[in-house]
Amino acid sequence: MFDFIGKRKIFFSISLGLLALCLVFCLTLGVELDIQFKGGSMMTYSYTGTVDPAAIESAVEDVTGSVTSVQTGSTAGTGMTTFTIALAQKQGVDVETQSAITAKLEEMYPDAGLEALSINNVDATIGKEFFLKSILAVLLASVLMVVYIAWRFRNIGGWSAGVMAMLALLHDVLMVFAIFVFLRIPLNDSFIAVVLTILGYSLNDTIVIYDRIRENERLMGKRTPLPKLVNESINQSLGRAFGTSFATVLSMVVVAVVAWMYDMNSIITFAIPMIAGIVSGLYSSVCITGPLWVWWEEKHPSKRRMA
Amino acid sequence: MKRAKKWPFFVAAALILVIAYLTMFGLSIGGETYIKGADTIRWGIDIRGGVDATFTPADGYDATEEEMRSAESIMEIRLIARGITDYEVYTDTATDRIIVRFPWKVGETEFDPEEAIKELGDTAMLTFREGLEVDEQGNPTGTVVLEGKDLVSAQVAVYRDEYGVSRPVVEFKLTDEGKTKFAEATERNLGKIISIWMDNTLISFPTVNSVISQGEGMIEGDFTAESAQDLAEKINGGALPFKMTTENYSSISPTLGLNAKDAMVNAGIIAFVLVCLYMILYYRLPGFVAVFALIGQVVFMIAAVTRVFPVYESFTLTLPGIAGIILGIGMGVDANIISAERIKEEIRSGKTVDGAVSQGFERAFSAILDGNVTVIIVAVILMGAFGPPESICVRVLRPIFFMFGQATAGSIYSFGYTLLMGVVANMIMGVYLSRLMLRSISQLKCFRKPWFYGGAKNV
Repeated sequence: MFDFIGKRKIFFSISLGLLALCLVFCLTLGVELDIQFKGGSMMTYSYTGTVDPAAIESAVEDVTGSVTSVQTGSTAGTGMTTFTIALAQKQGVDVETQSAITAKLEEMYPDAGLEALSINNVDATIGKEFFLKSILAVLLASVLMVVYIAWRFRNIGGWSAGVMAMLALLHDVLMVFAIFVFLRIPLNDSFIAVVLTILGYSLNDTIVIYDRIRENERLMGKRTPLPKLVNESINQSLGRAFGTSFATVLSMVVVAVVAWMYDMNSIITFAIPMIAGIVSGLYSSVCITGPLWVWWEEKHPSKRRMA
Repeated sequence: MKRAKKWPFFVAAALILVIAYLTMFGLSIGGETYIKGADTIRWGIDIRGGVDATFTPADGYDATEEEMRSAESIMEIRLIARGITDYEVYTDTATDRIIVRFPWKVGETEFDPEEAIKELGDTAMLTFREGLEVDEQGNPTGTVVLEGKDLVSAQVAVYRDEYGVSRPVVEFKLTDEGKTKFAEATERNLGKIISIWMDNTLISFPTVNSVISQGEGMIEGDFTAESAQDLAEKINGGALPFKMTTENYSSISPTLGLNAKDAMVNAGIIAFVLVCLYMILYYRLPGFVAVFALIGQVVFMIAAVTRVFPVYESFTLTLPGIAGIILGIGMGVDANIISAERIKEEIRSGKTVDGAVSQGFERAFSAILDGNVTVIIVAVILMGAFGPPESICVRVLRPIFFMFGQATAGSIYSFGYTLLMGVVANMIMGVYLSRLMLRSISQLKCFRKPWFYGGAKNV
């Protein structure tokens, strides 16, 4: 049996270290919002042969009057070569300008078989509204999780167990956030989808362990020392927690690899953070929540523990 | 304890396979479709390619609710005129926005999203013309008697005919200039047809029964309340003083999306096979049963998307929606894993196979329920925040999201839906079906050894 409670200092240090690292990333790399949230204009064209990104940049700047950056890339799965134009402005361009850009590019590279693969224009007002709505969705989910915990834990372990479960959730959400910052993925709707899913998924792991603690207290008696009780419960839940997370990570790894091969941005930015979130959820439920709760209860023993 | 019967396993397994086949390939007899197959899934525009645009009135015009409804009906006419019937149009009257999503037509090779968007938002050209003549291109050629600017408004009224039967009609009011023009025209065309056109689309062709000189006309016909309302909106649309513009649109080419769909479907198959292998190798007999539960679950999710019967329209599945199904494959074995782990423990604590199987499922249930409740909460929030206006979850959560306009990004809604369906399927397949199947298969002589349930080899 692994001693999770005894090694808690190591686990707490790992988590605090990761969170500190996350903070460093945020400060050095900066947090970027996707044009979905802040407004802006991005377009991807496929081409054959060669193109000159610098020439495209200046041509698009002529048409739009906005500072422009161009990146070329290729899709592993289909061998397609592409370039992506991003305008620095926080508004979408109107359809006339969009047509003018395409016309200009076709004039520059008549034989490159240009095709507009995807064009994205987001109005800053609409983007901001979408962002606020997304944040509200996350807040709403968090509140409902607290309500659920409060209700679920009313006969498990009192409010301290609930608070620890919330801390674990916060930990996981921050890890998902850190992955976005670290991989330089601008925060987009996938971020919201992943954060919400992880909120639900990770809490579930924690509740299963608490459930086990309650069951074991009945079996082992109320006199059992808390560290022993919690540690045994964590160990018994380990197989399930690991098994489920493994199956879920397995399916998401397949998705991430395929999405990467076919350059599906909306799916890459979904699958990789999801994997990080699931791993973090497993880690926090097993190594953080229980030990943290024991630590808290040792300092502030509550009278009706596990009543 | 009463022993379980042996046959339910085989019946359930056969049923799942039959239902799986029907859901994937559908059922058609003599050209009549009774059950829709997976090929009828309506793919989102991130897969089929298409346009997603949010229009607002140009130059900051503050439109009324009626004007927005009229603008919406103009867009619908134009989409249909382009041969696009599979569109979605949502009007958000609070923020004066019209959200339009439409895929490219199948087989179309020339895509000009900018042109299509521009045309949709243009000021409508409403004309009343003499006769019904069109040229070879289908453009109306009759003399124009009235234009959009000659109209003040149109509305539905109820008219009692000579037999005392109430019928919906469309009334319209004309400007002073329109009044004079129309009086002359109706006099000239008494007993003949005056046709009404939106751009180049014929929307109505009433016969002139009397000279209309008061500047108020009435169109009678075989109207229902809805079709009369529809015509009134179209006529009002022709009188709209503003254009719709957008700086918020995206377009995706079909090449990009179709590759992505095939790749994601393959990813789903690979993920499914890997998860099945893991379950069988690691959990043995309960894992084998889990494979059937997982087939059942995937089939349930696909059926929830196709909506099975031809009368129901397929749900729109986007790339994140497919990702949700694959995530469901991974999360879906959770119920089986919790139960299998519990059974393994019971076996190792010395219980008989029968006792372990029942106890395992019983003790696992509360943990399974918890997991599902938390995921249901987030799935409903996802659907409520990012769904189209008329969907249930959006209505339920409207008191919370009231201050925001309708969602302009459609692909996350699809993820919320598949996530939710995955959880529901998991409850049915992972708990009830798995318990039924495992209890019955465990009665077979060849599966009586505890090893099959995670026990040691030589017991």
